[in-house]
Amino acid sequence: MNKKIALIGNPNCGKTTLFNALTGTYQKVGNWSGVTTEKKEGFYKKDKSIQIVDLPGLYSLSARSKDEMAVIDYLNNERPDVIINVVDGTNLKRNLFLTTLLLELKIPLVMAVNHYDRLLKENVELDVELMSGVFKSPVIPVSALKGINLDKLVSEAVNRRTVAYFDLKALYKGEVGVSERYDFIEKSIPRFFKGQLKKGEQITQRIDNVLLHKKWGIPIFVMVMLLVYFVSIRLGGVLGGLVQTAFDELEFSLGSAMTTRKIPQWITSLSCEAVIGGIGTVASFLPQILILFTLLAVMEQSGYSARTSFLLDRIFRTFGLGGKSFIPMMLGCGCTVSGLMSTRTIEDRNEKIMTIYLTPFIPCGAKTAVFGWFSSLLFGGSAVVATSMYFLGIFSVCFFGRLLKRFKFFSESRGSFVLEIPELKPPHFKDVFFVLKEKVKDFVTKAGLIVFVFSVILWALRNLGFSGYTNGEVEKSFLFLIGNLLKYLFYPLGFSSWQTSVAVVSGIFAKEAVIETLNLLSNSPKDLFRSGFTAFSFTSFILLSPPCIASIMTAHRELKNKKLTFYMLVFQTAVAYVVSFFINMVGIIVNHLNRLILPLFIVIIIIVAFSFSIKKLKTCDKNCSNCKSGEKCQKTEKRFTT
Amino acid sequence: MFFAYLKDFWNKFIPMVLSELKIGQKAIIKRVLAQERVKERLAELGLIEGQTAFVVRFAPFFDPVEIKVGDVYLAIRKGQADKIVVEKI
Repeated sequence: MNKKIALIGNPNCGKTTLFNALTGTYQKVGNWSGVTTEKKEGFYKKDKSIQIVDLPGLYSLSARSKDEMAVIDYLNNERPDVIINVVDGTNLKRNLFLTTLLLELKIPLVMAVNHYDRLLKENVELDVELMSGVFKSPVIPVSALKGINLDKLVSEAVNRRTVAYFDLKALYKGEVGVSERYDFIEKSIPRFFKGQLKKGEQITQRIDNVLLHKKWGIPIFVMVMLLVYFVSIRLGGVLGGLVQTAFDELEFSLGSAMTTRKIPQWITSLSCEAVIGGIGTVASFLPQILILFTLLAVMEQSGYSARTSFLLDRIFRTFGLGGKSFIPMMLGCGCTVSGLMSTRTIEDRNEKIMTIYLTPFIPCGAKTAVFGWFSSLLFGGSAVVATSMYFLGIFSVCFFGRLLKRFKFFSESRGSFVLEIPELKPPHFKDVFFVLKEKVKDFVTKAGLIVFVFSVILWALRNLGFSGYTNGEVEKSFLFLIGNLLKYLFYPLGFSSWQTSVAVVSGIFAKEAVIETLNLLSNSPKDLFRSGFTAFSFTSFILLSPPCIASIMTAHRELKNKKLTFYMLVFQTAVAYVVSFFINMVGIIVNHLNRLILPLFIVIIIIVAFSFSIKKLKTCDKNCSNCKSGEKCQKTEKRFTT
Repeated sequence: MFFAYLKDFWNKFIPMVLSELKIGQKAIIKRVLAQERVKERLAELGLIEGQTAFVVRFAPFFDPVEIKVGDVYLAIRKGQADKIVVEKI
């Protein structure tokens, strides 16, 4: 049949659920984002010649946001044969606004009234024929969740060839603006929709009284996040350990099998250490990432994520960000790439850039795995490493966020904050499954490919030197050389061995590689760190330094500007260096307190003076005569209000 | 009877903004003072002059504020709510 169907509708109308129900496994996602901000393509599972595209949810077609522009571009460039306008039956008024716009596009259209199961349950009458008459298009009540009328929807869509003659201009005799459309909708709805939807709303309101409570809302949220975090680390850690053991056994048995068959040493080494070892390390993080992503997807699907924006917006604004910045950081807990991708929803350019710069400071799944490893190596497995790094990450976001805001570049804020608070609903596990599947596929490809390549490169650098194959004598390898050159850079940070230097560099490929590198290059990684503080300094550096190459590429894609990406790398490296240095200094002081009281005192004075001077840097550029301080200047008051 | 008149008079002539409403108090939106872009965005979501709205709750720190306009629950910043003139019902 070869038809192309486009799904268009408001955010939260159940479009994606419908898409999943229609395409089943025959779908391909364009991106990582947990939110549908990219188009998904698939085929109807009962007839693969019918292509279905799920477009980003939008409220209107005024091309005011990137999402709307993407949809308009799509409609212009890849004219679909028919549009299925998904309308949320429990929220008709606002959903129909888009409908009136779509009907004027001159593309065949069919309306799907979703959540029909809810309408039936609450005894609401929907006169489908009348509604079709009002909008001059077939109307099919469906339930994406329960699978009601899905086949009928597709067959109606595929058979729709005529364009609806829907002309509001004639009805209103002139300009048709937003008010006219809503007027039309308000007058039309009572004609085909009789009844009231109370239950879902009431339940949502009751639960919201707790979740969004003025006093308890935030503490509850903190507890939820801690729960999510701990479950994914603990449970994920245990399962991950099992995976790692399995791979270690594989490496060992393969190694001995190859050795007994007299296969050349270098092939054995390459296959076992590099290939299996590398893949094994990455695979061991999979359980943790899986659990984390599942929990985050549940939060998103149930509608809780939108509420977190609501709770945190005010707090975030003191740091120059907004409530919308929270979701990227939350996703950044799982994987920085996901987090960076979801910055797409931030409209204000400055807020978006700042969010992109700061999100990598939040420990991602890989970094958390590194901290977990450190914890078992040096701190007896206690959670103190991971938890403190988490707090360090948050602190860095706040502190350096404020710092960034002091630069004129970031101090203007144009965006408006309007958020729709969706009804709370139990997460639909099929949807969660699809989101998960995509994330895992991407994680495995990224990890599989990049880390695999890196493992081989690392193996080569370690086992090859100027004199050829080193056969285990590390001192002769290229790696040793490179590490020894780099180590001087890290001297002030407390960890100045060639192994740690190489490990830091390996972090560019994937943070997990840090563990692998340290294990590979040292028989006793524990000895590389003189003290607990040195280890903390190292982990802080890993936390705050630029993220893995996949993240950097994602950031570049969102920033769309080479200069900005470069500045990001500089910024993050500088922050990492400064913080690591600071921690190292604290460590040294603690260890030699009695000898250092005077120098310490001097340093504190310098720091205090410096921070006061930074305050002056935030100047107004009006250059009024006799102006001593820029901050309280009456003339430029407008500049400093958010 | 007289007090009803007085109350009505008061409501119609003393301007009030959305953020000043008590929770649950219904009001009609009279004017939306905002940039054109923002005004349109709010309008698309249902926040138009003539619609009935009421405050559902305030966030911690009283910002943002969740309101219900028509059938939709929206959250807007207090600064924005300060600029929406309403008339109590």
